[in-house]
Amino acid sequence: MEPARRQSVVDVALNAGNVQTSETVSRAKVLHRLRLNDAVFRNLTFIAAIGVLILLGGVIVALIDGSMLALRTFGFSFLVDESWNPVTEKFGAIAPIYGTVVTSFIAMLIAVPVGILIAVFLTELCPMWLRRPIGIAIELLAGIPSIIYGIWGLFIFAPFLQQTLQPFLIGVFGDIPVLSSVFAGPPYGIGMLTAALILAIMVLPFITSITRDVFESVPPVLKEAAYGVGCTTWEVVRNVVIPYTRVGIIGGVMLGLGRALGETMAVTFVIGNAHKISPSLLAPGTTISATIANEFTEAVGDIYTSSLIALGLILFVITFIVLAAARYMLLRLERRVGG
Amino acid sequence: MNPLYGRRKRKNAIAMTLSLLATAFGAGWLVLILGVLLWQGFSGLSLQVFTEMTPPPGSDGGLLNAIFGSVVLTALAVLIGTPIGILAGTYMAEYGRHSMVTTVVRFINDILLSAPSIVVGLFIYEVMVAPMGHFSGIAGAVALAVLVIPVVVRTTEDMLLLVPNPLREAATALGMPRVNVIRHVCYRAASAGMLTGVLLAIARISGETAPLLFTALNNQFWSTNLNAPMSSLPVVIFQFALSPYADWQKLAWTGALIITFTVLALSITARALAGSRKTS
Amino acid sequence: MSIAQATPQVTTPTAVQAPVDQSKLAEKISIRNLNFYYGDSKALKSISLPLYGGLVTAFIGPSGCGKSTLLRILNRMYDLYPNQRADGEVLLDGENLLSPKQDLNLLRARVGMVFQKPTPFPMTIYENIAFGIRLYERLPKADINDRVESALRRAALWEEVKDKLMANGLSLSGGQQQRLCIARTVAVRPEVILFDEPCSALDPISTAKIEELIDELKEDYTIAIVTHNMQQAARVSDYTAFMYLGELVEFGPTSKIFTTPNDPRTQDYITGRFG
Repeated sequence: MEPARRQSVVDVALNAGNVQTSETVSRAKVLHRLRLNDAVFRNLTFIAAIGVLILLGGVIVALIDGSMLALRTFGFSFLVDESWNPVTEKFGAIAPIYGTVVTSFIAMLIAVPVGILIAVFLTELCPMWLRRPIGIAIELLAGIPSIIYGIWGLFIFAPFLQQTLQPFLIGVFGDIPVLSSVFAGPPYGIGMLTAALILAIMVLPFITSITRDVFESVPPVLKEAAYGVGCTTWEVVRNVVIPYTRVGIIGGVMLGLGRALGETMAVTFVIGNAHKISPSLLAPGTTISATIANEFTEAVGDIYTSSLIALGLILFVITFIVLAAARYMLLRLERRVGG
Repeated sequence: MNPLYGRRKRKNAIAMTLSLLATAFGAGWLVLILGVLLWQGFSGLSLQVFTEMTPPPGSDGGLLNAIFGSVVLTALAVLIGTPIGILAGTYMAEYGRHSMVTTVVRFINDILLSAPSIVVGLFIYEVMVAPMGHFSGIAGAVALAVLVIPVVVRTTEDMLLLVPNPLREAATALGMPRVNVIRHVCYRAASAGMLTGVLLAIARISGETAPLLFTALNNQFWSTNLNAPMSSLPVVIFQFALSPYADWQKLAWTGALIITFTVLALSITARALAGSRKTS
Repeated sequence: MSIAQATPQVTTPTAVQAPVDQSKLAEKISIRNLNFYYGDSKALKSISLPLYGGLVTAFIGPSGCGKSTLLRILNRMYDLYPNQRADGEVLLDGENLLSPKQDLNLLRARVGMVFQKPTPFPMTIYENIAFGIRLYERLPKADINDRVESALRRAALWEEVKDKLMANGLSLSGGQQQRLCIARTVAVRPEVILFDEPCSALDPISTAKIEELIDELKEDYTIAIVTHNMQQAARVSDYTAFMYLGELVEFGPTSKIFTTPNDPRTQDYITGRFG
């Protein structure tokens, strides 16, 4: 008989089928529990992801539901009616829509060229040591909450404009036929133009940083090739950098536009809250978000409230379209660059 | 060739000068706004601001209930929004990386990211305030949470996508189930980035006024009741600044300074955190 | 037999260029005591050599020896980057192009460059070439058409693109894009053309076409080419400069460098002992 010896690998292999230790059984139980955990966690994350979609859907449904009353009462005329009378309960959206569109448009008219020029400076001219500080300054400007822009606009900027820019514009354009009604007085200080200017300052850092990032993605070889043919810096930017980054710039501009359209606090303080469309840019007006912000808590009566929610729905639809187009363009850019 | 070249050089000089002026223009506004803010807000800054409640017009007071309300609402919003955001981002980066669902969710999420915050306020009004019959702090917190979620989803997904695959493979090779790989390896690797996302979300909602206007409303007195209207700094600033009372306006400036300082401090911390992650 | 004793069985590249008539040599570019710095580190040490007009000079050497750096000094491309500087003299027809008074745009009009990676501008094929021409000359459309056609013919690309001049430059194949870049460089009528590893991103057939092109171009231009492919240098160039660790080790007619080099390092590189 062989003396007892330690089990060798051969022994274990030969006995493999018979190894039924308690260790194996508990391991199976652990694995089963872990698999259950896995499934639970996975489903949890999936639900959360779907939750984002549900959120968007919920917003749309809630807005439509809330504006039903107004839309049914006024029908399509809601979109073109200028009246806004809580007493007779007659409401129309055209004045806020006009204000939203015009202030945002003017803001972009100013912010886009300035933003692109700043991006050009940062990527081509700026000495190395100055780049980070200016980059930080841009981010600071972008981070200031919009209500700060609002009170700064109300207490500092509007009175300043009232003393300087507005009388100037009224004077300069006073005798020119069409433009004199665009820049007609009196100089209130607050008004559509002031709101547009503040919006421009708010949107500027946004456009600048997106344009700068997009400019920096141009392969250096391409710029060197242009310099190599003898181009000046401006010629390189205009003929090579900007066409190359065109889609990205447009995407960034549309993102900025989406922001400007939805901006509430900066505009509410300085727009003047007048529910009318005046030809003059120096007159008070209103935007969709300013109207809602100013009047919602005091709205008495279902039609009033519903009209305000209908305004919110219109704003949401407009910004949704703009933002979706912007994201789509940026998506195309990423795909082309291969990033 | 000479006249043509001269023209080109001049065009270049003009363009470069314009770009310099544009930069000075942009930087100038920052200086103006921050300068005024510091000037006006600082002069009203005192211990009183942090110890007394918002006063009725004409009397002395502080911003204590507003600050407290802001802190509570922000904390709640982060508590509610962050887990949802992290879970959603985890699905997009880990389980559903190449699926159509992820593409759609990412698209929608980016839209929600830039959506007007006043619309979010209206949404919460419709689904919480109207059915409940009254304004409440909790409704305000939920409105802010809706703003937090897209930010956290975006940063979580971006950060998790940066975790190198070999790290995941090594953990899986040890026999770790997926959920543990994610929790113990991926989250830990991406933790600095995810924290940055949370800080950015906080910075974003700290200054938000519009969504609170018709959810949490405002409260002149000290309140810890989430089921009742709750005061917050941005809404108080809104109310005080638009009023005709000088001492209210002064408090508005001080409140604005406090918010701006908080937001900037959070942003700087977030950037420093992101920076340290790059070097580690 | 140990490995150290085995003789390498690498074939030395044979030079195919006709021997150069020494009496007709004119120095188009003279490099004298050129030093170059990336920040504080010295990348080029006291380089002196001539580039003869109407001939092809090749720069060879292992990676990091400084040949591309040297090439990029000849059109002051390094000026785009703040930490890089050069001192010494680089005379183009007697004028020092390193001097701060040198107009860079005009310099680059005289000294053109073709890069390693084909870089067509984001424009049509026609515009890619017309763009460079329009920078310097105000010509009626018919003249520009002629110039575009002759540049594309020079680059042996005309037959392949004459029907799609309005197509985007990026729609061409890699070899075609590189020839487009050569056409673009030639259209501006430079005096010197610098080639920075022009074929390293291309397939063998495109490479052969471009080598033929360089041979034709040298009739009208002074050419400098950087290449890590020794056989290419032997095929294409009249003079060769061998560089190592930022120094010019040897310079001479290509036939001599590849058959009886003076310096043992040159011999080692050419026979493949290192590189």
